[in-house]
Amino acid sequence: MPPQKLPIALAAACLMAACSPPAPRHGVAVEPALARPDFTLTDTRGAPYAFARETQGLLTFLFFGYTHCPDICPVHVANVAAVLRKLPFEDQRKTRFVFVTLDPARDSLPHLRRWLDQFDASFVGLRGDADDVNRIMAGIGMPPAILGTPNADGSYEVAHSAAVLVFTPDDSARVLYPFGTRQLDWADDIPRLLQVRPSGAR
Amino acid sequence: MQWWCSASGEPWTWAPQYYPGVWLSVAVLAVAYHALARRARSLGESRRAVWGGWAGIILTWQVLDWPIGPLAAGYLASAHAVQFVVLALVAPPLLLLATRRALSAWHARGGAGRRVITRVTQPIIAAVLFNIAAVSTHVPAVVDRLMPTQLGAFVVDAAWFVGGLLLWWPILVDAPRRAWFSEPVKMLYLFLSTLVHTGIAMVMLVRDFPMYGIYELAPPWPAWSPIEDQHLAGGVMELAGAAVIFGIISVMFFRWSGGVSGDPPPPAPPRD
Repeated sequence: MPPQKLPIALAAACLMAACSPPAPRHGVAVEPALARPDFTLTDTRGAPYAFARETQGLLTFLFFGYTHCPDICPVHVANVAAVLRKLPFEDQRKTRFVFVTLDPARDSLPHLRRWLDQFDASFVGLRGDADDVNRIMAGIGMPPAILGTPNADGSYEVAHSAAVLVFTPDDSARVLYPFGTRQLDWADDIPRLLQVRPSGAR
Repeated sequence: MQWWCSASGEPWTWAPQYYPGVWLSVAVLAVAYHALARRARSLGESRRAVWGGWAGIILTWQVLDWPIGPLAAGYLASAHAVQFVVLALVAPPLLLLATRRALSAWHARGGAGRRVITRVTQPIIAAVLFNIAAVSTHVPAVVDRLMPTQLGAFVVDAAWFVGGLLLWWPILVDAPRRAWFSEPVKMLYLFLSTLVHTGIAMVMLVRDFPMYGIYELAPPWPAWSPIEDQHLAGGVMELAGAAVIFGIISVMFFRWSGGVSGDPPPPAPPRD
C-alpha cells in the first residue's frame, strides 16, 4: 500500500470499528444470520403472542424446553435469569426471554407460569400444538423435539436442542448458546449484543 | 457403581449410592489408626484423645460417603467446603492428637520413612505443601477438570487430607523436636499457614458469578442457586475454618500463658 494511503485506510478501519458493534465472544456463530421468525403461540395469560411483533427491536433469548426437564432447561434458564438481573434497569427493559414449551401435554399455562416465575416473573412462556412448535423449530434450523418412552410412573423425558438462540435488536440471530454456557460468558456477551442497533436505526 | 464420588451430571437423587473405594480407604485408615492408637494408649495417651481420633475417622467417612460425598463432588460447592474443613482442618488434628505419642516413638526409633517425614513436616515446608494442596484444588479450571472423574475427585480429597496431616503434624506431634518451634511460633505458624485458605474463602464470598462450572451447570438443587451455594461455601470455609483455627490457637495460647505445655511427655520405653 502506498504510504500516502495509509492514513485513509486507518481512518476507514477506525470508522468501521466505531460503527460495528463488538462481536460476542462466546456461543456458536449462526451463519447465515437468521431473521426473527414470525409465529404466534399462546402466552401464559392465554392470549396470542406474536413473537416477531412483541419482541421486535429487543434483545431476545428464544429457548425451547420443558418444565419437567431435570437438568438442562432449568440450569440454562436460571443462568440467563441470574445475569439479566444484574443488568442496569434500562438494559433489562431492552431484553425478553421467551420460553416455548415442547411438552404441551404436561406444561399447562398456569404450570408454565409458576415454573418461569421461579427464575423471573418477566420471562415469557409460550405454548402451542407440538406440530406447530416443531415447525417453528425447523424454520430456524433446530431439530424437532422427540418424546421419550414413558417410565412406569408415566413420566417421560423430551429430547431437544439445548441451545438458546439470541436475536439482537436488528431482528437477526447470529449466535446461539449451547448448554454449558456459563453466567460469566453471558455477562460478557449480553452487553455486546445489546449494542447491536435496531434495524432501521442510524 | 462408582468406586469414588465424582460429578456425574445426573439429577440428584436421595436413593443411597455405594462407593467401595471410600469404604476401603476408610477401613485402611481405621486399621492404621487402631494400631497407632493402641500403641499410643500403651505410651500413656488419654482415652479421650483416642475417642477423638475415632471421631476423626467417622467424620472422614461421613464427608466422603453418600450423601455428602456425591453432593460435594458434583452438586454443591458448600458441601465441598464442608469436606475441605473436615478433611483438612478437623480430622487430621483429631487423628494426630490421639496418635502423637506413638508417632513420636516411631520417629525416635528411626522407622522407615523417617527422613521423608522429617523433611515434609519441617514447618515451612509443611505450610507450603498444605497451601499448594489448598490453592491448587480450588482453582476453577482444576476443580472443573478433576471432579468429573473418580480418580480426580479422589486426588482432591486425598490432597486435602494429606495436606491437613502435614499442616498439623509440626504443631501436634513434635517429632522431630525443633527447639525454635516454640508455642508462640506454633501459633504464628498456624495463623499464617491458613491465611491463604481464608483468602480463597473470601474470593468465593465476594464473587458475583459462580466460579466452578461443575456446580453452576449441575442439575439444579432446589434450595438455593449456584451463586448462593458458592457464597455459602465461602462462609463455611471462612467461619468453620476460623472457628477451628482460632479455637486451637486460643487453647494453645491459654495453655502456654498458664505454663502448660501442649507437647506430650517423652515416650516411655517400650514395655516388652
